[in-house]
Amino acid sequence: MQGFIATKLDDFAQGKISRRRLIDTLMAAGTAVAAAESAKAAPAPADPALKVSLVNHISYTCPNFRQAGDWYSRVFNLEQVGPSDNDVALPFGKRGDKPMGITANDVPVSYLVIRTREATAPASGQTQARRRPRAIVQHMGYTVADFDREKAKAEFISLGVKGVRDGGLYSLHMLDAFGYDIQVSGLANNALTDGA
Amino acid sequence: MERFIADRIKDFEAGRIGRREFCEAVALAFTVYAAGDAAKAAPARRGFTMLGVNHISYNCPNYAVARDFYTSTFGMGVVNDKNMGRANLTFGPEAGKGGTFLVVRTGETTPDAGATATVDHVCYTVSNWDEQKVRAGFAAKGLTPTGRNGSLHVYDPFDFDVQIGNAVEETAFRR
Repeated sequence: MQGFIATKLDDFAQGKISRRRLIDTLMAAGTAVAAAESAKAAPAPADPALKVSLVNHISYTCPNFRQAGDWYSRVFNLEQVGPSDNDVALPFGKRGDKPMGITANDVPVSYLVIRTREATAPASGQTQARRRPRAIVQHMGYTVADFDREKAKAEFISLGVKGVRDGGLYSLHMLDAFGYDIQVSGLANNALTDGA
Repeated sequence: MERFIADRIKDFEAGRIGRREFCEAVALAFTVYAAGDAAKAAPARRGFTMLGVNHISYNCPNYAVARDFYTSTFGMGVVNDKNMGRANLTFGPEAGKGGTFLVVRTGETTPDAGATATVDHVCYTVSNWDEQKVRAGFAAKGLTPTGRNGSLHVYDPFDFDVQIGNAVEETAFRR
């Protein structure tokens, strides 16, 4: 890889390619490296039956979507896109990013939709009220980069996050702006270690 | 990473770094990027970098009913089911490599005291979406989805709203 980079740098230094072209070329090379690494980690191809690949979005309803959106943006550095009068989306990456571990081209980054509406309000494009469920998403778990529990705990507290407490061996629990329980961890908290 | 490369080019042009240093720096940046750790190359900032949903903690009256529904309808796997009222249902990449899981528990189904927010539905992405196959799969389960092509809702056995969608109809950037 370094040889390739050196060649492109020489081309740039000799005026054969522009600065923009150099950046684009190196970005493409970096993306290819990342894709190759992801492919090594990918599981066997999915069988043809209906099989979900990733969380697309979490629909979160609260009394004030702007306040909640700002909280998640501030704590998790999430951008807000497509705001309307009663909701906003917070994607976990930028347009075109591939989610971690995903090689397929048709699986977008997950996102939070934060809304202010009745929990039983009809789904988008529907007229019938949503049923009142006999189940509940009691908390949400999120994976963050470079998670070190003690450092993270100090950082959450310094950000003014309430209710920060240890969760199991690998994570922290806390309350968001509306008292909703969220759990934050690194990759060490996963399906094999959680509840094992 | 684009900003990082642009800055290194400026350093190179200004003579602050040599050719070898440039190549090493960019190659190292690729490695960090490929490891999903691009945050290390970014300037220090407050807060955290969200990588994704780790898990969804779902409480219901009978975890086994939920487990059977989600595995048979959405192709999720089962981990850590000790017949003790909970199981982890896996999907997506491998555990520890970006994989997500749905924790189904037999447990309390009222909101925590003090919580004024709720998750009213969860949407999952289906890759290689085939409308006929998806609808036929639901029909075989006795489910009647609502919604539109590429974005469908059904209720699970406990009337929790579950949505599935493809990358065209369901993306944050389409809104």
